[in-house]
Amino acid sequence: MIALGEASLPTSGSGSAPLLRVRDLVVHFPITKGVLFKRSVGTVQAVEGVSFDLHRGETLGVVGESGCGKTTTARAIVRLNSSISGSIVFDGRELVGLEGEALRQIRRRIQMVFQDPFSSLDPRMRVGSIVAEPLRVHRVGTPQERRARVGELLEVVGLPRYAAGQYPHEFSGGQRQRIGLARALALHPDLIVADEPISALDVSIRAQILNLLAHLQQEFGLAYLLIAHDIAAVRWISNRVVVMYLGHVMEQASTAELFRAPLHPYTVALLSAVPIPNPVLEAGRQRIILKGDVPSPAAPPAGCKFHPRCWLREDLGNPPECEEEEPPLRLLPPAHEVACHFAERVLESAAQRRAVAWRAPTEPPGTNPH
Amino acid sequence: MSDRAILSVEDLVVRFKTRGGIVYAVNGVSFDVREGETLGLVGESGCGKTVTSLAVMRLLPKGSASVPRGRVLFEGRNLLELRESAMRDIRGKEIAMIFQDPTTSLNPVLRIGKQLTETIRAHQRIGRVEARARAEELLAMVGIPASGRSISEYPHRFSGGMRQRIVIAIALALAPKLLIADEPTTALDVTIQAQILDVLRELAKRSGAAMLLITHDLGVVASMTQRIAVMYAGFVVETASTDLIFAAPKHPYTVGLLHSIPRLEDEPTDLVAIEGMPPEQRREPVGCPFAPRCAWRIPACWTTNPSLRPVASSPAEDADHQVACHNPPTLEEADAGRPLRSGFGAAPGPGLSAPLVVPGEGGLERP
Repeated sequence: MIALGEASLPTSGSGSAPLLRVRDLVVHFPITKGVLFKRSVGTVQAVEGVSFDLHRGETLGVVGESGCGKTTTARAIVRLNSSISGSIVFDGRELVGLEGEALRQIRRRIQMVFQDPFSSLDPRMRVGSIVAEPLRVHRVGTPQERRARVGELLEVVGLPRYAAGQYPHEFSGGQRQRIGLARALALHPDLIVADEPISALDVSIRAQILNLLAHLQQEFGLAYLLIAHDIAAVRWISNRVVVMYLGHVMEQASTAELFRAPLHPYTVALLSAVPIPNPVLEAGRQRIILKGDVPSPAAPPAGCKFHPRCWLREDLGNPPECEEEEPPLRLLPPAHEVACHFAERVLESAAQRRAVAWRAPTEPPGTNPH
Repeated sequence: MSDRAILSVEDLVVRFKTRGGIVYAVNGVSFDVREGETLGLVGESGCGKTVTSLAVMRLLPKGSASVPRGRVLFEGRNLLELRESAMRDIRGKEIAMIFQDPTTSLNPVLRIGKQLTETIRAHQRIGRVEARARAEELLAMVGIPASGRSISEYPHRFSGGMRQRIVIAIALALAPKLLIADEPTTALDVTIQAQILDVLRELAKRSGAAMLLITHDLGVVASMTQRIAVMYAGFVVETASTDLIFAAPKHPYTVGLLHSIPRLEDEPTDLVAIEGMPPEQRREPVGCPFAPRCAWRIPACWTTNPSLRPVASSPAEDADHQVACHNPPTLEEADAGRPLRSGFGAAPGPGLSAPLVVPGEGGLERP
């Protein structure tokens, strides 16, 4: 039948060409006014120069708060946004500008799983038809073969074969997410773009889906681009992590590296804000409480996008660079990309140590930090 | 903090009449909130935690909800027996509530100053000017900058985090003795959540008010509460000090929850998922509600609902630790996340082949 990507091994990938290579991705949405004569009165800079690589069989996690552009990035890669610029190379082919049959052929190898398992499945279709739809659209197999494949897929995601005859409303949130995964797997994709796949689920169900995602990745050599705000879950499943803020990449590194030594003041604050399910550690924790809210992407601040809320800038006595120059993403050893003029000052700072000091307090009692 | 309870919920039962039949939402829930403490009510959606809090506030929908049993004692008075007019005096003034979604809990067509002063003047005989001064003071307390100007803005001018601050200001306007916060930060981003939790923690400490914090987030309860009651399918299955719940959980569901979340503070390990899903509460509960998903279950679990009892042989300082389980996990088993004794094997229904769907019935299969 179909054999795409199934044979590919989950390699560490660092040597080989990446499966997905994104460079300087820009997505702007026009803000329009008027009813009959729509005129553009500005743009929302949803994504502004995002670059990353994703290798076969690996998971890239994208974290950030609402409005940071992580979902827009995901949708740009599956080409659900029209007005994008930059470069998205998938398995050697440029996707930006691709249209018609060529785009359709690439699309079967990139599938998407959505956040809301309630609205991403057509309530009037039986589960069997939902899962078989990609096969039908791409004219794969005979109806009989498709039925057999649907049965297989349902079992792969942990649902009984007879589920094919039922409707989505008969299933719980976790089970619906399994149905969405079965649909995504139907065409043997190489890449699954998952936008908040677990955030609508209950705590006890999340682990089931995370385990299933990990199992499927091993089984089929899938690459995941995972968008999530649950930082602990991202760490659990990702090989690399991208941190976004107001449409820009603030920092990216391997998961181990990022969580061992976050280098961007925003990442440090983000990690320090996550409540830890351990009351003893929580009692000893000192958080960085950021001031204010995320600015509107329609009117982003000049210079570094994070500067109005940055604790480091304040600590350094408000140096002018932060307001005037946008810091480029630069490489710091060992292999850590960070967009901050003063990232070196974060390294080994008390704040960084505190943000990742989850196991034991590293400061002797009585010292006054910060 | 004292050991005196400001709120005692005793054997509370709440049912809903729906077109699909009766929903057994809350099935004999008991817990205390003590003076000055924050109690976390933890559980997943549908476990009855919000319904319990609405029952305390007497805000359950009149037509469909019934409370056939139970008492809600607030400072010794049973709120379920009060007349509506007396209850109105208690709401807002003695017990205030903060809801999950700050967008819907503010009136979009009233300036926030009006919403604050309205609350104050509904319960206290003070003049406009005085009320306005008090409103400004409250906004400053929850960290709304330039309160003088913000006070005449409409809610849509504020971000989600700011709106939740305003909601907190309104809740605190009359210095309530008890604050019920229902998922107060679930709709917010993590850095904003940190801000709001900080405000709540600070204000609870400063005002000495007790708090009932309803959440599904184990990180939030760990950072905010002194004690926890864990709910499952309309039952309180375990209650203890926050430290003990995390260090020595005694109910298989609590153990399962703690093992099923990815941790930032440890190296990533295998997640032990709780397989299956919570029961649909459309049948009168028989036996332990967690039995279908429980690796520790014994025959009695199918027939007899275990009552909440003090944990056997616990040292004196653990006297508060209560669990509703016929066969609680040992400390080693709680650490491992699975039974270690012979005769207790794999958890029922592993995710990849479980009897997940029973069409029409909605429940889980039982042997």
